[in-house]
Amino acid sequence: MAYQAEISRDNPTFFLFVVDQSGSMEDLTETGRSKANFVADVLNKTIYTLVASCSKADGVRNYFDVGVLAYGGSEITTGFGGVLADRIVHPINAISEHTLRVEERQKKMDDGAGGVVSLKTKFPIWFDPKNNGGTPMRAALTKTVETVADWCKIHAASYPPTILHVTDGQSTDGAPEDMANGLREIATKDGPALLFNLHVTADGGRGTVFPTSEAELSDDYSRMLFRMSSPLPSHLAKYAGDKGYSIVDGSRGFIFNGDPQCIVDFFEIGTRPKLVADR
Amino acid sequence: MSTSIHVRKRDAEEARPKPRLPLAFSVSKGADWKNEDSFHRSSKGVYALSDGASVSFDSASWSRILVRRYARKPEFTTKWLNAAIAEFRKLYDRDNLTWVQQAAFDKGSFASLLGVHVVDGGGQIQVLSIGDSLAALCDGDRIAATFPFVAASEFSRSPQLLCTNPMQNAFLDKADVDHDLTADWSFAGLEQPALLCMTDALGHWFLSQRDRGRSPIGTLRKLKTAKAFARFVDQERAAGRMKRDDTTLLALW
Repeated sequence: MAYQAEISRDNPTFFLFVVDQSGSMEDLTETGRSKANFVADVLNKTIYTLVASCSKADGVRNYFDVGVLAYGGSEITTGFGGVLADRIVHPINAISEHTLRVEERQKKMDDGAGGVVSLKTKFPIWFDPKNNGGTPMRAALTKTVETVADWCKIHAASYPPTILHVTDGQSTDGAPEDMANGLREIATKDGPALLFNLHVTADGGRGTVFPTSEAELSDDYSRMLFRMSSPLPSHLAKYAGDKGYSIVDGSRGFIFNGDPQCIVDFFEIGTRPKLVADR
Repeated sequence: MSTSIHVRKRDAEEARPKPRLPLAFSVSKGADWKNEDSFHRSSKGVYALSDGASVSFDSASWSRILVRRYARKPEFTTKWLNAAIAEFRKLYDRDNLTWVQQAAFDKGSFASLLGVHVVDGGGQIQVLSIGDSLAALCDGDRIAATFPFVAASEFSRSPQLLCTNPMQNAFLDKADVDHDLTADWSFAGLEQPALLCMTDALGHWFLSQRDRGRSPIGTLRKLKTAKAFARFVDQERAAGRMKRDDTTLLALW
């Protein structure tokens, strides 16, 4: 059965975030923030959560490799800045050590006595919002295929890579579907890579979350992104179900026009392999 | 979490057989690994065992706090749990942690708790279990009862563990402590009674051996020293019959 490998320091897994930074990501969402700003914030929170889930009092354990591939205009590049800008993929402990900056934010927490307290919390930033030019999605997915294939060659026994792709528009450098199909065929011994797509558009249209059929979608582009997406494996389907989503056999890891909470959940569900090693 | 667990005091307290201390053995998952299991045995017949989840901030300290507090006060209430969390939180100055440590500290540390209160020399045995540590009531080589699991397959589910982040303990709000988390046993009527408490790797081995028609009790009964226990765990791990994990046994033979 696929997706059963224990995730450990000897056999880490890989999360690759592929992020559209084209000019249209500047458009505002209904909350008044730009799509680029919102996605950068969710991405920072997602990596913060990944680091926290690998951390003990004495350090960060390398259960995950994490990569960010950003595309926009003529650039396909690492999404990391600073010291991490030399490569697309880094072990999670390197990511924990090299933030762009650490901000102070307020976080609401249970006080243990039935109330909620707001606590000052250190919050790391790796990404600032960017947006520029066209949407070279085909070239971005070609680079994704290379990156994922290289990783799988040296981690043949690991839980397979998970790719979370965020886009708001149509590819401007050709159809990307065959690249996505190739990507989903790259595998470790534990199963094929998982590709989940998030379509954040400001064009309106009914939101569709984890659909089972193209017929649920209203335009050719979102139907193509649906076909490009992997079905949710059972453990992620269960987790999505626990979060209140209606999941049936064949639900794909695809969200079209999700509300902000959907987008947060998309990242949370997609980065939820079971950490059973070293328990 | 609605009620507390208390064993009723009896008038003829002095008539009780003196509680015995169980044998206790614990080995880590490997030579270079810190053992995050904890156990405590009191002379009043209260025994506690806790398995700290490695994938969390400081589960070793959390499991130690849980067993020490249970041995001192064998009950389980919201107040009891909040006091344990408060004790854990005092170990760290949250504001002065690095952001990585603070993130993991806020996420919480997780551990199981298995508490046993043996009263009247076994006339009454109360078992509390939260998580996947296993208690077994034995009669000779027969398993009379196990708690909280009855089948080895149940160990494959993600256990719900006690956490230093109160939000992660919300599952307890839906639990009826007396029915869902406790078992009432007795040595009465058993010819050769024994009580075993195990963390999950050994618990899984124990029920798997039974399912294969072997006698896990007979094997464990032969282990009289820490060295013999460590050798046994090594052998079972090498044979692929036991998961590599911190492994602890409390045995009241």
